[in-house]
Amino acid sequence: MDKTKFRSMAKCVLVLAIIALCSGLLLGLFNWITYVDPLQSTYEQFSADTGAVFSKMKDEEGASYGNGSVVYYAVSDDGQYHAFLVQASGWGGTLQMYVYIRDAHVSKVVLGENGETLWSQFEDDFFSQFVGLDLLQTDAFGQTDIQTGATAKKTIQAIADAMNAVVQYYNDQVAGGENNG
Amino acid sequence: MDRRKMRETVLGGLIRNNPTFVLVLGTCPTIAMTTSLFQAFAMGLATTFVLIFSNLFVSLLRNLIPDKVRIPCYIVIISTFVIIVQMVMRRFLPDLYSTMQAFIALIVVNCIILARAESYASCNPPLYSMLDGISMGIGFTAALCLIGIVREFFAGGSFAGMQIPGFPAMSGVGASAFGFIVFGCLMALFNFIVEKIEARKRSMRRASLPLASRAESLEEVQQ
Repeated sequence: MDKTKFRSMAKCVLVLAIIALCSGLLLGLFNWITYVDPLQSTYEQFSADTGAVFSKMKDEEGASYGNGSVVYYAVSDDGQYHAFLVQASGWGGTLQMYVYIRDAHVSKVVLGENGETLWSQFEDDFFSQFVGLDLLQTDAFGQTDIQTGATAKKTIQAIADAMNAVVQYYNDQVAGGENNG
Repeated sequence: MDRRKMRETVLGGLIRNNPTFVLVLGTCPTIAMTTSLFQAFAMGLATTFVLIFSNLFVSLLRNLIPDKVRIPCYIVIISTFVIIVQMVMRRFLPDLYSTMQAFIALIVVNCIILARAESYASCNPPLYSMLDGISMGIGFTAALCLIGIVREFFAGGSFAGMQIPGFPAMSGVGASAFGFIVFGCLMALFNFIVEKIEARKRSMRRASLPLASRAESLEEVQQ
């Protein structure tokens, strides 16, 4: 190999590697400064949305149901609310939703972190259509159960999959299952 | 510091080379993030931060970065600052972050930032490059805010989230197609005004010259 060519190539690799290393160190520092404990932030979100106190997670492992999955499940200290952080793959990556259940009925749904770009297509009160859904009377939740004028198919599918994960988890593990009580 | 160059750099980003209305760069976030004034302002600020620091670091490293790997190096530098913006927003502005998440990540490929790194910061000293970043950032933010004000007014009948009595929201106006129309109209208006000011300045300069030089200057303009 030509020595000059090798030198030039080595210089390129070295410079790029040093810049990448410095960038990594800088990001590490910022990550340390801005780190948010996911469990703590989920507790705070659960409390902010329901007004109830959540002091421990009932299930930190979660469960997957096809494209949708339950990330965290908690019951409020007074036992009134069952709170879920669920997620599914949408168009722009992972879409997260907070779903709250009271007396086996959905009492509130709040959109969490997501990378979807077509929210302007959705109605302002889009998530209120899920309120009142009786989980004990629902076996599965699909795309056709969602009422909207929006045409963002992948986003709608992700929302349906996330809701379905709640329905399945609640019926399997909460209503008559191992986490009951 | 050369005062004239400084003035040119500052005015360049704001008016003569405004990234949105003159260079027509970064059209994607311009349309996507201008449905409201608040979002437009936040996007502008995030982009300004990335512009300033990427320009600074590209300028500082300009003599060390080999020509062959300059673009990958610029991308690494730019993406570092975009991720920092993401981390800070996620920690301190979670609500805003959840609505802008997809577009914040896209700042990495925003043409304005890469264009300024390549055309300005890579051949100018750090202080001028930072100044260029500030000026371009303010120019971009101002343009986004202007479009955001018009779009929010027509689509939501509001200003900065406050409802204006007597102006109802118009359905369909919030769509991207209307965004392009607003963008085009404001661009035309901006260039018309800038051109008028420049023409007035030219004529004033000509009027202040002695007669012989005025004829020469007129010839130059005609050529």
